[in-house]
Amino acid sequence: MSSKVSRRQFLNYTLMGVGGFMVSAAAMPMIRFAIDPVLASADGGDYIPTEQKADDVTETPVRVDYTIKDRKDAWYKSDVSNTAWVYRDGDKIIALSPVCKHLGCTVNWAGDDTHPNQYFCPCHAGRYEKNGKNVAGTPPLGPLDQYEVEVIDGYVHLGKTMPNTLV
Amino acid sequence: MNWNASDMNLFLQQKEYIDTLVVPLIKVETVEERMKASASSTDFLMNLVDYIELQFKGRIMVAPPFAYTPSMDIQQFGGMLSTDLTKSPFKHVFYVTTDSAWTSIDIQEKVLWLPSIPIENMDDRLKQSILEDQLKQLLPRFTEEWIK
Repeated sequence: MSSKVSRRQFLNYTLMGVGGFMVSAAAMPMIRFAIDPVLASADGGDYIPTEQKADDVTETPVRVDYTIKDRKDAWYKSDVSNTAWVYRDGDKIIALSPVCKHLGCTVNWAGDDTHPNQYFCPCHAGRYEKNGKNVAGTPPLGPLDQYEVEVIDGYVHLGKTMPNTLV
Repeated sequence: MNWNASDMNLFLQQKEYIDTLVVPLIKVETVEERMKASASSTDFLMNLVDYIELQFKGRIMVAPPFAYTPSMDIQQFGGMLSTDLTKSPFKHVFYVTTDSAWTSIDIQEKVLWLPSIPIENMDDRLKQSILEDQLKQLLPRFTEEWIK
């Protein structure tokens, strides 16, 4: 057999090449969609900036408000305002969720004059210690949730809530 | 709690804790010149009520707003509403409104009247702090009733 490519062979190769290209053009997006969950980046980098300077955080919890811009719930787009109680513990910064574990009211630091060093829930007088531990004998059954915290450029950034790790 | 099916389910399970109903009362003006102000105060009241709901989710249920037009007799309207609400499982019922007419009628329920603040042109931060201030003023009215 000669090493020359015959016209017939040449056309075969070209057809295979073009055909393969067209098939892959159709199949690639399908595969991409099928394995999409695997490719999704871990949401660890999803920190939301606040206006709280990390250096200004003391051992007394302060209220930090922040806004999640453009949150999408299906077609409904909105800015969501959120709050955290932020304090310093050694060189770590702790941020606690203000949502009471009893029935979801909002707790306040030192909200009750008789317990100035605790979080207080005005709904049913639930109380939590500074690290979020629920005070026994009050309605809440679990500790306050904690936020993931990251300090970026000197400002406190808050991530997702997670179960309390301090208690 | 809001007046929707999922919150209502929770309410039915937690009746001993959620004992307060907040009823927004809204005057709908029908004359063109007053419609803007009416819409603005509706906006304010509904924002405030949402904020109350957020803060006191575990104790307060917010009823759907009750609306009326100028020629409706609020003494009669309020009276009928109160009669029906006394049959509800809520121990405490509050009316919140920006219509000052409610302060001068004789009614069983606690009426929380607030002057309307035009919040529609404010940025979010200012709006938030206004709502907070308003809630701070209302808070003692709630707690004094709860202690009883």
